[in-house]
Amino acid sequence: MKKKLVAVMMTAAMTAGMLAGCGSKNAAEPQSTKTSDTDSAAEDTTSEGAGGTEQSAETAGEAVTLKIFSNLPDRKNGQGLVEQMIIDEYMAENPNVTIEVEALDEEAYKTKFKAYSMDGMPDVVSIWGQPSFLDEVLEAGVLAELNEDDYADYGFIAGSLEGFKKDGKLYGLPRNTDIQIIYYNQKMFEDNGWEVPSTYEEYITLCQTIKDAGITPVAMDGGDGWPMACYLTDILVKVAGTDYADIVSNAVASGDFTAPEIKEATQLLVQAAEAGVFQTGYDTQDYGTAQNLFTNGQAAMFAMGSWECSMALNEDIPEEIRTNIRAFTLPPMADGKGGANDIAAWNGGGYAVSANSEIKEEAIKFLNYMYQPDKLSKYGWENGVGMSAQDQSSFMTGNETELQKQVVDILKNATSVSGTPINDCGPSAFKTAIESEIQSVSNGTESIDDFLAAIGAACK
Amino acid sequence: MKKMYSNKLVIFSLVLPGLLVFLFAILAPICLSVYYGFTDYSGMGEAVWVGLENYKTLAHDTKFFISLKNSLLLAIGFILIQHPIAIVVAAVLDKLQGKAEGFFRCVYFIPNVISVAVIAYLWKFIYNPDFGLLNNVLKAFGYQGQINWLSADNAIWAVLVVLIWHGFGWGMLIYYTGIKNIDPVLYEAAAIDGADSKTTFIRITLPLMVPVIQVNVTMAIISALKQMETVYLLTGGGPGDRTQFAANYLYQQAFKAFRYGYGNAIGVVFIIICLVVTVLLNQVIFRQRED
Repeated sequence: MKKKLVAVMMTAAMTAGMLAGCGSKNAAEPQSTKTSDTDSAAEDTTSEGAGGTEQSAETAGEAVTLKIFSNLPDRKNGQGLVEQMIIDEYMAENPNVTIEVEALDEEAYKTKFKAYSMDGMPDVVSIWGQPSFLDEVLEAGVLAELNEDDYADYGFIAGSLEGFKKDGKLYGLPRNTDIQIIYYNQKMFEDNGWEVPSTYEEYITLCQTIKDAGITPVAMDGGDGWPMACYLTDILVKVAGTDYADIVSNAVASGDFTAPEIKEATQLLVQAAEAGVFQTGYDTQDYGTAQNLFTNGQAAMFAMGSWECSMALNEDIPEEIRTNIRAFTLPPMADGKGGANDIAAWNGGGYAVSANSEIKEEAIKFLNYMYQPDKLSKYGWENGVGMSAQDQSSFMTGNETELQKQVVDILKNATSVSGTPINDCGPSAFKTAIESEIQSVSNGTESIDDFLAAIGAACK
Repeated sequence: MKKMYSNKLVIFSLVLPGLLVFLFAILAPICLSVYYGFTDYSGMGEAVWVGLENYKTLAHDTKFFISLKNSLLLAIGFILIQHPIAIVVAAVLDKLQGKAEGFFRCVYFIPNVISVAVIAYLWKFIYNPDFGLLNNVLKAFGYQGQINWLSADNAIWAVLVVLIWHGFGWGMLIYYTGIKNIDPVLYEAAAIDGADSKTTFIRITLPLMVPVIQVNVTMAIISALKQMETVYLLTGGGPGDRTQFAANYLYQQAFKAFRYGYGNAIGVVFIIICLVVTVLLNQVIFRQRED
């Protein structure tokens, strides 16, 4: 009997504990609920005073909590640092605004983005202006429409907003212009008497020479799939030239990837991998491992996007290597349609405002603040994170790193720009398929025909 | 007090919390999974009913079968490699006595304590062809080549080694507890009869351990089927789909390819497979016990 009594009491205690647990969770909540209450109050006042929205928010000085969901978890380097700088500045200028940042890396970000889309998105979010990401997102209607006329004098590069539009309406703004480039270690090149190749054939011969010297020619992040797909895009641009976009969009639309240009580009990728252009085991190594090979001087080149320009300023990289990083674009082929200045480049990442945000006005205000030409674009430039999607020529000080200047020249001299890389041109099922299959085809476990058939099937 | 216990309302109120947890945390999600398995839901927007379409696709999905095959391979690896070693090690540990026993018990269990993420990255570095431990050891022995431990042909074996190594301590600990529960009088009697340690292991330890082995094998098979996190972090199923496992494939389809409906269909088939395996195992074990 006593035992039973103890058991009953324990059960009661446990239930009470559980309730208390729930209670404490609720107790932690008020902070956010409270702010959202004031948020909606702020919105009410703003909607009343139709024209003077900004004023009413500012003069009232009501506490506003702006939630930002970002795909840049590293807040101390590169783009994450730039984003954080602007956020800190904005909070200093608007004491009533508190900005909460939640940052996850790309894959985790995209997964949580979906979850958020079902039960309330943070106010400002990172997005990608590419079909593989944006098509489904816009279909679900979770992003707020922006007024394109507002950005007339923001200096956006012509065409850079296109990926962020649907039916002529603008839903987001691009953050970067990304160029697929090959970084190389200039000192290593000079010490060994290697020269920057001017044709694709020379490039392959050079890789062979480097390999014979016992050094990895090109560090490749093959484990993630997308960097290799960007590299394939680059090859395809050199094969097909300005026809690239049409060939890819036709292939995605029909699910038929047997176009001779795509076939040839894939073949060149496979041949390069077979010849040992990439490090051993590239097909399972991740971003960091591949990059480390290059930044530790174990690899002569590193195929990656222009966002890695900040390597030249990253003090975690040994100075001898950091100061010697230079870049070139994949050189043209003897029988290819793409010239040296037809480059693989696109406007990928960017920001948008949630359609269901309770403080939409405030969120758009912050978005516009971020995109003022002297913010995202200028800070990005000063921190060497590559190029923004806005005109940056006025920020040139002459003190830029050599790498930065080179990349600027690459873009300035470009005669054509490819647009979205191949893996992002289709639905996300296609993206997943090509990023996995490209490992199999490059390491020779799958034939080129099977590869093309498999990625085609994923489009249907 | 007795009166209170016979009061149906009291019984009901005591059972209710558990029932609610089961209903909302287990049963409802499974039902939702079954529902979404019949739709083309992408995780956002509208879910359109497509009937058995997902299941038809799944029946022809070679990747799903590769991942099932890999799960089977892992289960076999667990049963034929991990568990025999675990039993022997547990028996040896039991014989060690004193400080050494505690020390080695701890050492063998350490991999289980370390987070899966750390384990995966640790092995990523061990396997790295350029600066990894394995190739450097080989180099120290004069081997000049560079072995790609995670190549298309080797990857599945490399992953199996990690998984078998990682789960080893857990299995061993359960066997060890089982052995500790064997009455020492039996060993004393055997010693008096002149049996050596090999004979006592085969004649006494093993037969008395059968129930523990059955439980452990069941758990091993289920954990092989459910394997996801180590593979996800170590190879992500690659290169290609060479190290794909069912749970990882489900994740990839649902959350990377955003074929949420299809992912749920995989989930449903997966639940059925797990149930069938558990029922079959129980039957086999039950029959054996009856004999």
